[in-house]
Formats: sequence, structure tokens, C-alpha cells
Amino acid sequence: MKPVRLEINGRSIDTEVEPRQSLADFVREELLLTGTHLGCEHGVCGACTVLVDGAPARSCIAYPVALDGARITTIEGLAQDEVAGELRAAFTREHALQCGFCTPGMLIMARDIVLRRPGLDEAAIRHELAGNLCRCTGYTGIVRAIRAVALARAGEASVVTRGASLPMPADPSPLTLPVSPARRASGESPAPLVAPPPAGLEFEPAPLRNPVEITEAFEVDAPRGAVWALFQDPARVIACLPGARLTQPSDGRRLQAQMSVKLGPMQAAFSGVGLIAPEPASWSGILHGRGVDGRSASRIEARLAYRLEATGEKATRVHIEVAYVLQGPLAQMSRGAIARDLAARLTSAFAANLGAALKGQATPVAAMPLDAGSLFLAMVRGWLARLFGRG
Amino acid sequence: MKPARFDYARPVDLAAATAALMDAGANGAAKPIAGGQSLGPMLNLRLARPSRLVDVARLPDLRRVEEGAGGVLFGAAITHAEFEDGAVPDPTPGFLPRIAHGIAYRAVRNRGTIGGSLAHADPAADWPTTLAALGARVHLAGPAGRREMPVEAFILGAFETALAPGEIITGVFIPRCAAGARFGYRKSCRKLGEFAEAMCAVLSDRARGVHRLVVGATEARPLVVTEAAGLIADPAGIDDLLCRAGLGGDPATFRLRRAVIGDAIAALARETTPESLTPSMKSVAP
Repeated sequence: MKPVRLEINGRSIDTEVEPRQSLADFVREELLLTGTHLGCEHGVCGACTVLVDGAPARSCIAYPVALDGARITTIEGLAQDEVAGELRAAFTREHALQCGFCTPGMLIMARDIVLRRPGLDEAAIRHELAGNLCRCTGYTGIVRAIRAVALARAGEASVVTRGASLPMPADPSPLTLPVSPARRASGESPAPLVAPPPAGLEFEPAPLRNPVEITEAFEVDAPRGAVWALFQDPARVIACLPGARLTQPSDGRRLQAQMSVKLGPMQAAFSGVGLIAPEPASWSGILHGRGVDGRSASRIEARLAYRLEATGEKATRVHIEVAYVLQGPLAQMSRGAIARDLAARLTSAFAANLGAALKGQATPVAAMPLDAGSLFLAMVRGWLARLFGRG
Repeated sequence: MKPARFDYARPVDLAAATAALMDAGANGAAKPIAGGQSLGPMLNLRLARPSRLVDVARLPDLRRVEEGAGGVLFGAAITHAEFEDGAVPDPTPGFLPRIAHGIAYRAVRNRGTIGGSLAHADPAADWPTTLAALGARVHLAGPAGRREMPVEAFILGAFETALAPGEIITGVFIPRCAAGARFGYRKSCRKLGEFAEAMCAVLSDRARGVHRLVVGATEARPLVVTEAAGLIADPAGIDDLLCRAGLGGDPATFRLRRAVIGDAIAALARETTPESLTPSMKSVAP
């Protein structure tokens, strides 16, 4: 495995790749960007065409290992692109697709043609499009659609697409890896939070690669000192996490815990180790955790960073940042909006339980595993509310 | 379709590249890769199974362009698209962008490199024939140091070159043509962008007294005529040329080649634009 950093549809991706993995397989299988289609897999049919540094390239014969630092745009990344939008409309109008298999490659190539050589006539369009095969349409509709857009742009100056940078799409495909709004806005990955590891460390917390990140802030009616004390007690912190329990008494720094997660037909019981790294000087700290689900061999690594801000004599604002990386079969099944929503719910439940614990109340959710029932319902309700702009 | 497992190295300079190619084993199992537009399909089809790929696409030596009075030395990793777009200086009156425009497809041209095309030495590729006609020289670097040679000496046969183990192409020197030089280029492909079944490049640079004709797509090394003034003046000698080169066997191929060569010579008389290259089938229509 080799480390690479790629920018895919405006998002920076740090990962490790097998050298022989093609870019097409990488975007389809690792990022679930399945808009890129694979036809011949040896650079002939053009279905897998994507933009590499602004210029069309065959993703089946490009290898991410060799593309370190490159900016990749797949068809999903052109959702808001003006020219791609004109082409989509023209393709619809001119019946430029039937089965749709070649269409992503056709659109990416067509966009390059009309930008690079605006006003091209039909013969030249056919020449430029010769590397993209279509088995349904006979090309007539495709060429007509491209010609219409090329004609509309006839007066425009030629654009050098090679080396061009495309803006990040405002609304990435729901199938892309989840990404927190904070990261989407800046496009920069935040500096990893790494605490100085105390002695007796069982594992070396490494910076998480492309984690899902959730931030939450809430007010509790307790002095900062009391909240701080709770965060230093592993048993009480774990008790606030739905579905989690300590499997061994903790020494206050290291902990062993188990956490059950259920989501529809999927369930997992992660057993793992944790590490509490406080930074008293700044009233903050980090909990690192790592676990494995024995059944599916899925792995999770997570980080919970907290910061306590005194807002009054008996009032504290708690800032929480959760970041996690899920790998293995479970990640493949639950990647996307559902996993992200689940984690967000967990964070909210944690915050609620924490507030209750500080008030001396019982934490009912902590006792039982995170069962689908109520939680899933709450998620669906949350989605519907967002969908219709209510709630 | 997955390539067989291979290791990947991206050395930072020529010396490291040579070392990476050499220490992969004496069986020559390491292969340099630049754009990967020919090697990629071969890897995917498992026709090529190198144990290691040495990525030379970003070596500074291979990305430079040195313009001199006598010509231009292009780094081996300059892409076809960079030639096509005029992003690099052109020592010829427009020949290079024209040829580059006709190579495969834009998506391939964006990544494929001139050095890679030479190293791959596909007889039907555009650069080997074109560069031989232009009298270009290949610059090499390897364990034994640097050397250079004419393109026609570099290409030994189909997919065979003079590259020694651990050696890579660093650049291609293309001599400057006079402003009035003419270049006739024709190829016949079953489908646009496919490999050619017959091709011919002719350079006629009267000011320098250079007249060269190269027949490509021969399934062996290109047929290079360095003193082609007579042939250009009287194309009737084509038949004799082909027969003497052992290319007279199959009547259909013979006639196709003859037509393509004749067209390339005829094209010297009229200036060609990139678009007029488009209907390549037309040039061999009966």
C-alpha cells in the first residue's frame, strides 16, 4: 500500500492505495462515486473518462498511486457546472442517450470539446468524440446535442482545460464519503488533534484519515470544575455513550470498553481500547478509541475532543468534536448519509446524557444498546423535517 | 480486470530512477512508466507483468524544454496534448501540433508522452514515424551515462528499442526546419484514433536541402529514406522501394501502403490544417 493525497471533486482525500488499483476502481469502490462507468477497462471505450487536473483522462488506465497531488473531477463533481448543465439539457432534448452507460464519459468529453474548441462543426465534433463509444444511439443525437451547445458558445474564447481547476460542487453526491459541513466550506482538513501520549500507552493514536466529523456544543448548569471531573472519570464518560460499557475497571487513563450499534439489519459490537488524554491547562482533552467488531471484522477508530468554557459561575459550555473512521464490511454497507446521521445521533445522545449525569439524573439510554427502533425513527423524522424545511 | 501486483516507485531524479530500475532484479522486471497510455492497457490485460513500475513522468529532466538555434530539446515526458495546444515551442512550421492532434484521442493525448511513445516503439504509432522523418535524435540516460542517437537507430523493430537495462529516454531533439519546409503525413486507420495500418511521413525542407521519407506501420522498424528528393519528384519509385524493403508480399497491404505514401507525397504540395487530417480513410479511398 502506498500513501497518496488526491483531491476528488474538491475534497482532499488522504489514503493508501494498492499500486495496481485503477482510478476508476478507486472512485467507484472506495468513494462509491459510481457515476464513472467501466466499459472495456483497457482505454478504448471512453466510458470511464474523468477529468484529471481539468483535462479528460481514462480512469481505467490511470492509477491513483501515480496521481499523488492530482485534482480529479468525476461526473458527480460537474453537478453544478454551467457547461455540463447545458449539455445535460441538450442531451435530453436531442435523445442523446438510451441505456446511459456511455453518458458520463460522453458528457465529460463533450464539456471539454465545447470549452476547448467552441463553435466546432459536426465533422470536427465527431473527430473529437471518436474515443467514446456508444452502442445505442448511433451518435447522431449525441453529436447534435454537442453541436447545439458548441454553436451557442461559438463566440466564446477557447478555454485551456489542461491544468484548470474546477470549483467544488456545492452538493456532493449522497454516495460520497460523508464530510462535515465545516470541511466542505473550507476544503481544508483541520490540523489533526494529537495529544501527548501518557506513559503505559496501549496504542499510538495516529491522525485519522478522512474521518467523519461531527461537532456539537451545549450548555450545562454546572461549574466548569464539576464537568471537568466527569470527563476525567472513564466510567462516567462511557456511561453517557449510548450502547457502551466498560469491560474492565479503568485506571483513569486507559480503558477497555464494548459498544453495541444496531442499524436496521446491521449490528455490530465493537470491543476495544481507549485512552484519555487531558490537557488541564486549556480545560480540554481528547479520548482516543479503537475497536473491532468480531462478527464482521469491521474496525473503528474514533476521537472525541472536548473543550470546556466557563459561561458563568454555575454554567459551562461544552464543545465536542467527534471524528471517526469506520473500515471493513460494515463501512461498505453503511457508508454515506445513514452512518453519518447515526454518528450525529450518538453525539447528541452523548451530550444529552452528559447533561443529565451532571444534574445527577439517571442516563437511561446508556444502559441499552443503540437499538434501531426509536433512534432510527428519530433519524427518519429528522430527514423528513429537513426535506420539507420544518422542525 | 486488474493488473498483476506490482510495486511502484517515483524517484526524484535521474540517478534514483536508474537505481530503481536496476535494483528491481537482473531479470529486467522493472519498467519505467510516464503517461501509461500504452502500458496501462497492457497491465490491465496482464500482457505486461512488471514487478515494479518506476514513474518518470515528473522527473524535472524529462519535463524541461530547451530551445536552441539548431532546434528544440523536448523532455521525454512532454504530453501529446502539450504539443497539440502549442504549449511548447515548435521548431517546425506547425508540424508538431498537427501530428499530435491526430494521435489517438484527446483523453489519451492529455496523459501520453512523446518519450513513452518512442520507448513503447509501436510501429503504428505516430511519433516514431514522424520523428524519424524530422531527423530527430533520442537522448538517453542510464547506468552507463548519457548518450544520444537518431530515432531510426533507436527503434530496432516492433516494440524493440536500443534501450539498455536501466536506461530511460530523457528527451528528443528536433532540428529546426526552415519556415518554408513542407510536411506530408498520411495514415490509414480502420477507425479514427486507432492504430494505423499504413502510414507515411515526408519532410521536404529545400532551404536546408533535407528530404526525408519514412514509411511506418511496417510491423518492424520504420523504413527510412534519408535522401528522398528523387522519390518526392517521381513517386513512381514507391513500388520499387516497398519491394526492396520486403513489403511487397501481400497485394492488398502493398496497394494500401502505396496509396498512403503517394498521398503523403502529394500532400507536400498543399498545406494541410489539422482538420483536413480528419477523414483519414478518405486518403486511401479507391
